[in-house]
Amino acid sequence: MLADPAAPTRVMLSDDHPFVRRGLRTILESTSQYEVCGEAGDGNQTLELAKRLRPDILITDISMSPPNGLEVTARLRQSLPQTKILIITMHDSEEMLQAAAAAGASGYLLKSDAEELLMIALQCLEAGHHFVSPAFNPEFTNRLFE
Amino acid sequence: MSTLKVLIADDHDIVRKGLRTLLEEHPGWEVCGEARSGREAVEQAVQLNPDVTVIDVSMPDLNGLEATRQIRKACPKTEILIITHHDSDEMAGEVLDAGARGYVLKSDSDKDLVHAVEALSHHKPFFTSRVTEIFLANRGRRITDPAESMRSRLTMREREILQLLAEGKTAKEVASVLGIAVKTSDTHRTNIMRKLNVHSVAELVRYAIRNKVVEP
Repeated sequence: MLADPAAPTRVMLSDDHPFVRRGLRTILESTSQYEVCGEAGDGNQTLELAKRLRPDILITDISMSPPNGLEVTARLRQSLPQTKILIITMHDSEEMLQAAAAAGASGYLLKSDAEELLMIALQCLEAGHHFVSPAFNPEFTNRLFE
Repeated sequence: MSTLKVLIADDHDIVRKGLRTLLEEHPGWEVCGEARSGREAVEQAVQLNPDVTVIDVSMPDLNGLEATRQIRKACPKTEILIITHHDSDEMAGEVLDAGARGYVLKSDSDKDLVHAVEALSHHKPFFTSRVTEIFLANRGRRITDPAESMRSRLTMREREILQLLAEGKTAKEVASVLGIAVKTSDTHRTNIMRKLNVHSVAELVRYAIRNKVVEP
């Protein structure tokens, strides 16, 4: 089946904080480009729901009741290779970014940038590029996603 | 029905966005202001005189607990709802000590938040069952906590300065943030270190992190 080019991109949200999910949803629903197809509040729920919904993009936090966002990313990379994964987190260390890239995430957005850069991050992912919050050294990030 | 004015304070834009959406879905509630730090929260509370202030514990400059103390003092009619991801026994006690009458974990549901604001708007306290359990389990135990008796020895001003120092500010910078003389700021620092029995800024930082005055 061919995808309808006018159909909105289906995005699933995963974060253990409902207020954060609500903030993300509000931003996404302010355009017709994206549709929030589901929300999950912990790692297991995320795995189950993602397998059922097969979203175009999964936006996930790292710190959640296990499995955490990185484990979820690594597992979904195997079972749902079509789904792109955007990590959204308050962890601003290079080690965590490196772990996220290794797990197979396509994007890494800091929570402090979320409101401003969420749309840009999603557009990058949809275009087949990577996205990393500008706080990180670009040389370092380019090497990670080579 | 008159409008309920709510001030929200959290250093993350995305959380404020979520809170605003949730609160404004409720008829008759208006988010009258947003603050990104404890200090902004105090300023805005004084200026806007909200019915309820929803405030995050972990914020730069002035944390949510200290901001709560200052808001309670400056605007006693404003009820305070603390939101935090710290699901700890000590935190529950500190929230009450600071003068907040509601406490919701960031992992609690949207509904809990709405119920909390509703209760506070009628000047009734609100705690989720999880928090109530913590309180009951700790009844009578907290008085003997040595860290707490140490903490209560610091004045409100000293706790405020402790956070700024732990965030890496010099005595001079602290003086400029608070609009006080450098000498006064120095004296406060000396007093804090004497009261906490620490002898270096590194120890001070360690104390502040351990007692959740700042985030590691």
